[in-house]
Amino acid sequence: MNLRALPGLTAGDFKDRVRRPVYLVVLLAAVGLGYLAVPPADGRWVILALGEYRGTYNSAYVGVATALAGALWLTLGGFYVVRKGIARDEETRVGQILAATPVRTALFLASKFLSSFLVLVSMLGVLAVTALAMQLMRGEDRGIDLIALLKPFLVLALPLLALTAAAAVLFETVPVLRGGVGNVIWFFVALVVGIGGQSSDAPLGGLGVGRAIDSMDAALTEELGKGGDRTFSLGLTQIAEPLTPFRWDGFELAGGFLASRLLIVVIAVALALLPAFWFGRFDPSRDRRGAAAKAGAEDEAAALSGAGDTGQTAVPVYRPAPTAALTLPKTATESGGGTFGRLLAGEVRILVGGVSPWWWAVAAALTVAGLAVPAGLVTGLVLPAVWIWPVLIWSRLGSQQVEHGMEGLLGAYPAVRRRLLAEWGSGVVLTAVLGVAPLIRMALAADLPGLAAWLAGVLFIPSLAMLLGVVCRTHRVFQAVYLPIWYLVVNKVAALDFMGAVRDAGAPAGPTPLFYAAALLMLGAAFLAAETRRNLTA
Amino acid sequence: MLELTDITKVYKGGKRAVDGLSMTLGHGMVGLLGPNGAGKSSLMRIISTVTRPTSGTLRYEGTDLTADPDAIRRHLGYLPQDFGVYPHLTSREFLAYLAAAKGLSARSAKARIEELLELVNLTEAVKRPLGAYSGGMLRRVGIAQALLGDPRVIVVDEPTAGLDPEERVRFRNLLSDLSADRVVMLSTHIVSDVESVASDIAVMAGGRLLRRGAPEELMGDLEGRVWEILVDPSAVSAVQSHYVVSRMIRTSAGVRLRVLSAQPPVGEATQVAPDLEDAYLGVIRGAADRRSDDRPAVRR
Repeated sequence: MNLRALPGLTAGDFKDRVRRPVYLVVLLAAVGLGYLAVPPADGRWVILALGEYRGTYNSAYVGVATALAGALWLTLGGFYVVRKGIARDEETRVGQILAATPVRTALFLASKFLSSFLVLVSMLGVLAVTALAMQLMRGEDRGIDLIALLKPFLVLALPLLALTAAAAVLFETVPVLRGGVGNVIWFFVALVVGIGGQSSDAPLGGLGVGRAIDSMDAALTEELGKGGDRTFSLGLTQIAEPLTPFRWDGFELAGGFLASRLLIVVIAVALALLPAFWFGRFDPSRDRRGAAAKAGAEDEAAALSGAGDTGQTAVPVYRPAPTAALTLPKTATESGGGTFGRLLAGEVRILVGGVSPWWWAVAAALTVAGLAVPAGLVTGLVLPAVWIWPVLIWSRLGSQQVEHGMEGLLGAYPAVRRRLLAEWGSGVVLTAVLGVAPLIRMALAADLPGLAAWLAGVLFIPSLAMLLGVVCRTHRVFQAVYLPIWYLVVNKVAALDFMGAVRDAGAPAGPTPLFYAAALLMLGAAFLAAETRRNLTA
Repeated sequence: MLELTDITKVYKGGKRAVDGLSMTLGHGMVGLLGPNGAGKSSLMRIISTVTRPTSGTLRYEGTDLTADPDAIRRHLGYLPQDFGVYPHLTSREFLAYLAAAKGLSARSAKARIEELLELVNLTEAVKRPLGAYSGGMLRRVGIAQALLGDPRVIVVDEPTAGLDPEERVRFRNLLSDLSADRVVMLSTHIVSDVESVASDIAVMAGGRLLRRGAPEELMGDLEGRVWEILVDPSAVSAVQSHYVVSRMIRTSAGVRLRVLSAQPPVGEATQVAPDLEDAYLGVIRGAADRRSDDRPAVRR
């Protein structure tokens, strides 16, 4: 494999990625995360704690806390930033140009992996600088020890970022993981890595945090003069009282530990290169969508050459009429009422267009289950299930025009607001249809507060999707925002319960009226954003 | 019907795509010609109300379209140079959606869509999703949507790109037919697309309107200035460096060049009647010469 092309390919892809607005957004989020990782002495939140204790804010502790927070965030959020590297080459047709060069598939994949990794590393670098600034800002220990500060970034976070970058490449080369399904699956993979990886029994040491925690526990035991059963906690947590600081000067790196971290990087590289066995080098005939398009093109070519008349093909064939003068249709066109209904029907068709029969079969099964399960499971289990299933479809709302390149055409059409309302309405229809079983069960049980919460959900979800779609012009942001909210609702966080799944003495525990207001506000904001964008880009 | 007054469009970064352009458009077809980057597509988007001009006014039957774009949108058929589709809809579903957006009644839309699908030869492909259409078929879907709602103003930007030669001729003739009682504006950089059907030619470059008139008027500008010469292949580049060469044909006797020049370029030059391509090149090069006098394009 000629490696000389690798730096050039990597650099080009890297530049293209970091010049996108979403890179800046995630970078700012990383800075915010750096701030959260080192709360003030009297702060009521914590990201890293050992029972009721935390380390004094020296370079070693600030480094570990920020690096671990960064590893968790960049494993989840970073994946969404770096994916689509290959899909973009396909959309822009650059891939076909590359495919015609001598660049080997493995080299191409390596360049995608490296550029993704570099993007994530650049974000980690920003986090490291933020950590340094936070140590100085908090002022508990102003002695800067760069090695102690950077060590956790290198040995704890970096291997996970390599895995994330590799997964982004791998997901793009597996048809079923390329789209929204992959986004959803990665959310849960990142959760498993983030939570399960904290265990000392995790494969290859997981996050690698065990070694640091053991060292912290030993330092604390020595300082207090006694041991104890202190629970390690990693993740944003609210606390009643500020934590008590203790002195910790970092952990030693053992050879075995370093080898396991290195092994993670090696596995990541192998994962990224693995698709070389099946990656089709942008040959449209090797994926189903491409084959369909090709079929269309060939039909026309066949028709033009007269081959379409042989009847050898099963697909409908376009046969141009004999050369004849064209004349405009004679049907008088008239304006009429009821256009909103037809617009809504059209938007529903667009929204659910291309959804597989299997998707509908699962939706139907969930509905049947919703009608059959015991009453106690309807809101706690069925309702969250039916309102996670269409997440990929909701995410199309607000961004479909952009993502299908329809803006130029529809820009010349009247009734902009009516079309936007119809698009939102299609989301409402879909949400209501999916939630019909819980609706019926709650109606039969005369659960009026539950019905009110259900309605709030029906309005809230499409409004959120519309706002994020219109503002961000991509379907991925809704997927990234909705999944954590839904996850927290499933985990009984009542403050975010927009659907009435969290119950307190049988009644919805969430702030239902707040979600009505939020839905209206977001819908209004979506309209405003669409209007503003239209004025700005026009 | 359409009146453009001192239209200017400046994009972010200062790129002046349209620069103080004024023109009036009535019934008939205007062929808008210009090189790539002339500002044609920007002008088409402004007329179609997709883009707002930075300054200047655009009026349709007296109504200011920057303040009330919907005044023309119901009477407008617009075919952009590049456009996308919803890939999972069929052509019939796609047109039905757009008909509803245009405010057509259900009955009228249904009949119209069937007629248009027949007109653009897509009746046999209506059951297939648009994602499986070829580029030429999608172009025809674009043409069909532009004709929904019996538009009074038709704006088509490079409409024949992707069409086969037969379809190109048919579509050009259709536009010519439509222009009898409508405003039709056709933008292209292919002269042959407009020379047989447009009664009115506008030439743009650098965001400005350089020349407007009937094809005969434009060709009349070059009367007596178009020559054919036969030269040795080795002399071609020397001729090109001194004159505007509008055509070049290799023959066994040498290279036959069509040259724009006020005087006979060489001793054995034959004067020929100018065509629209000569006229177009003359306008474009004349404007370039006015901007830079480094080298006279049309020698005098």
